[in-house]
Amino acid sequence: MLVQAAPGDPADLLLSDEASKEDVDEARIRWGLDQPVYIQYWKFFVAALHGDLGTSFRYADPVLTMIIERLPATIELAVASILIAVIVAIPLGVWAGARPNSWVDNLGSLVGFFGISMPNFWFGIMLILVVSGLLNWLPSAGRDTYGLGGDPITGFYILDSIIQRNWVAAWDGVKYIIMPALALGTNMMGILMRVTRSSVMEVMHEDYVRTARAKGLTESVVLWHHVVRNALIPIITVVGLELGTLLSGSIIVETVFSWPGSGALLISAITSRDYPLITGTVLTYTIAFVLINFTIDILYAMIDPRIRFDK
Amino acid sequence: MKLTIATIAGAAAIATAIPAIAKTQISVGVTETVSSYNPHGDSISMGYGIWCQVYGCLGTYDFKTGNYVGMLAERWTIDKDDPNIWTFYLKKGMKRHNDGKELTSEDVVHSINRMATDPQTRQKQNVRHVKEAVAVDKYTVKIVTKQPTAPLLEFIFDRVMITGKDLFDKHGAKTADRQYPWGWGPYKLKEIMIGQRIVLEKEASHPDVKKENPDVLMFRVMREAEQRVTALLNREVQIAQFIPPHLAVRIEKAPNVDVVPTSSVELMFLAMSPKSKPWDNPVLRKAVCHAIDRDSIIKAVLKGQAERLDGPIGPGQYGYDPKAAEMKVEYDPAKAKAMLEKAGLIGTEVELSTPVGRYVNDKQVTEAMIPMLNAIGLKAKLKTPEWPTLWANVQKGRVPFYFMGRGSVVDPSPAFAQYFETGGSPRIGISDPGIDAALQKERATFDPDARKKAINDAFRLIVAQQPACFMWRHKLLYGQAQTIAYTPTASGRIFGVEISVK
Repeated sequence: MLVQAAPGDPADLLLSDEASKEDVDEARIRWGLDQPVYIQYWKFFVAALHGDLGTSFRYADPVLTMIIERLPATIELAVASILIAVIVAIPLGVWAGARPNSWVDNLGSLVGFFGISMPNFWFGIMLILVVSGLLNWLPSAGRDTYGLGGDPITGFYILDSIIQRNWVAAWDGVKYIIMPALALGTNMMGILMRVTRSSVMEVMHEDYVRTARAKGLTESVVLWHHVVRNALIPIITVVGLELGTLLSGSIIVETVFSWPGSGALLISAITSRDYPLITGTVLTYTIAFVLINFTIDILYAMIDPRIRFDK
Repeated sequence: MKLTIATIAGAAAIATAIPAIAKTQISVGVTETVSSYNPHGDSISMGYGIWCQVYGCLGTYDFKTGNYVGMLAERWTIDKDDPNIWTFYLKKGMKRHNDGKELTSEDVVHSINRMATDPQTRQKQNVRHVKEAVAVDKYTVKIVTKQPTAPLLEFIFDRVMITGKDLFDKHGAKTADRQYPWGWGPYKLKEIMIGQRIVLEKEASHPDVKKENPDVLMFRVMREAEQRVTALLNREVQIAQFIPPHLAVRIEKAPNVDVVPTSSVELMFLAMSPKSKPWDNPVLRKAVCHAIDRDSIIKAVLKGQAERLDGPIGPGQYGYDPKAAEMKVEYDPAKAKAMLEKAGLIGTEVELSTPVGRYVNDKQVTEAMIPMLNAIGLKAKLKTPEWPTLWANVQKGRVPFYFMGRGSVVDPSPAFAQYFETGGSPRIGISDPGIDAALQKERATFDPDARKKAINDAFRLIVAQQPACFMWRHKLLYGQAQTIAYTPTASGRIFGVEISVK
C-alpha cells in the first residue's frame, strides 16, 4: 500500500515512450491497477495465502519463481560475507580484547572503525577501481564466466561446481564472489570486531576466569575455552542482527557488482514500480529476517546452558 | 533465470569445454537487460537489437545512406492507387537456425498479429497503424494500414521480430520463446540470464555473416559506468557502451583501447507547455530559447560530447535539411531580456524540472541553465524529482517546464506527432491546427523528397511556436578494444555482423 502511495505508475514506466494512452490504460487494466488499492491488496493477500505472489509486471514471470531462482545467489553472497567477517573479526576481536591497548588492539580498532564507517557502495566501487582496474586481479562484475559452469543443481554456483568436481568453475566462482563479499561483509566485520573486543574484555574480569587462571591453566586455554565461549552470546546476537543488514546491504552491493541476486531484482522492481515483485521480495526478506532471529534464539540455548525456554 | 536451450546440439559439451576459446568471443558491457524471454515483452532499444539479430526482422535504417534497407525483406512497394497497401517481398531460401525451416509470409503475418495481441506485449504501439497483415503467397506479405502512414517502416522494420508460426502453434508462446528461440537472424541465442548476460552464437550459414564476425557475442549487464570502463581496461569486455564524458579520459590514456564517439538519435529539449501559465505566452517561450547558451553548456558541462541542434533534428535523421537555417535559435540574452521587458514578464517565477542521472549530466546541465534564466529577468528554480514521479507527471501533462530527451528519433514523424500534434499526448499540451495539418500531411506524403519537405514545413511551424527549445544530441561514447573493428551507430544497437575481429 505504501509503495502504491508513491508517485509513478507502472504502466507509464514500463511501456514504451511511444505507447498511446489506450495502450497505457489497457496495461493498467491487465495488471489490475484500475481497481481500488484495498481490492488489489485483498486479491494479493488471498493469493499469497495460496502460495501465489502474483506475476511481475516487468518480467511477466511468477514472482515466487523469480525469487526462488535469484535467492541462491544472494544467500551465497551473504554466506561468503559472513565467513569473511567472522574469520577476520572474531580472532582479531578476541586478541584485541585480551590485550587492550596493544598494537593488535589498535589495528583491530582501525579495522573496526573502517568497516563501520565505510559505505558499502563506495567501498565496492573502490574495490572495482583498484583490485580490478589497477591490479587486474579479479573480475569486476557478474557471478561466473560464461561456459565454465555446469547445469545448476542447488543454484549455489560454487557449491554446484564442487559437487560436479569442476574445480576450474569453483575457483572461477570464488574469484567473482570475493569483491562483493568483501564490500558487503566489511561493515559486519567492523561491528563484530568491536563487539567481540568489548565482550571479551568484560568476561576477562569475571571470577571464573580468575579461578581458571588460579587452577594453572595456560592463558590460551583460559582465553579460548573459558572467555570466548562466555563472550559468544552478544557476538551471536550481533551476527543474527547483522544477517538482516547483510540482506538489505546486498540490494546495493548486488547492483554495484551486477550480482544476479534478489537484491538487484528488488532495485529493478522499485525503479519500475513493479508492485507484485516489490511485495514478494520484501515479504521474502521479512520471512528470512524472522527465521534468522528464531535460529539465533535457539542457538542461545545451545551455547549458554543457563538459558532454557521452559517455564 | 538461466535458460538452457536443450535442443541445441552439444550444449552440454560446450558448457564444460572451454575450447570454445578457439572461437572468437566479443563481450559487450551494456547498461540495460532484456526483461523477458518473449521477444515482444520489452520495448527497449537494446532488446530490439538483440532479438532482431536472433529472430530476424524485415529491415533497418542505414545511418550511412539515410535510407531504409531490407534484412529479411528483399524489397517493398506501396500501392499507387491505395497508399494504405504496402507489399513486402521476402528473401527466398532463408533457413531457420537448428531445423532449417524456410521463412515464409505466414511467419511475418503471425509476428505482426502476435505483437498486437500477445498478453505480454509491450510493442503494440509499433503496429497500431496496421489494419491487417495478409500472406499473399509464400514470400509476399501485404500490410494494410488504417490510414496513409508514410513512416510505417520506422514502426515495423527493426521492431517487429519474426518468430516462427509453427513453433508458436505447436508449443505455445511460453515454451516456444524459452525452449525454441530459433529464428532467421545471423546469430542464434545460446544463453540468457536476465539481469546478467545474454550470449549469442554466430550462425555460420547465414548469408550476412562473415568469417571475421565474432563467433560468440556476449552482452554483459554492467549498470555502473565505472565498472564498464574498468572491465574494458582489464579486457573483460571489448566494447563498453555509453561512457560518460568524465570517464572517457581514463580510456584515452590507456593503451590498446579507444574512445569512439557517435551521434545519437536522442533529442534533448526544454519543454514548455502552452496550456499552463505563464507558458501560454509565446514571448516567454521564445525568450527562454534565446537565453540558453547551449555552446557553453556543451563545452563546459558535457565536455564537448554533444552536437548542438539548430532545428528540431540533426544530421543523419530522416528529413534533416542543413539549409533550414531559419530554424536556428541564436543565443541572445539581451534580446531575450528585452522581449520579457516588453511583455511585462520580468520577475516571472518559473520552475524547471529535471531528471537526475537519466541523461548525461542532466542535473549539472539544468543547474547551469538556472543562472542563464535568471540573467534575462526570470526567477527560476530547479526541481529534481525522482524519475518515476517526474515521468508519471509528464505523461499526464502536469509538468509545465522540464528538461527531457526523446530517444529513437530516426524518422521524426512518430515523436513529433506524439509531442506536438493535438491528441498525441498531454506531455506538452500544444494544440495548433496548423501544426496538426502539417504533421498529418507529412504522414500522408510518400514521395521521399516531398515528404522531407513536408517534415520541414511542420518543423518551421513548431519552431515558430516554440513549445520546446531543441538543445542538442549527445554523442554516444563507446570504449573499444583495438582488437576489433566496429563503428557504432546512432541507434545504440550492436549487431554482431557489424563487428570484425582483427
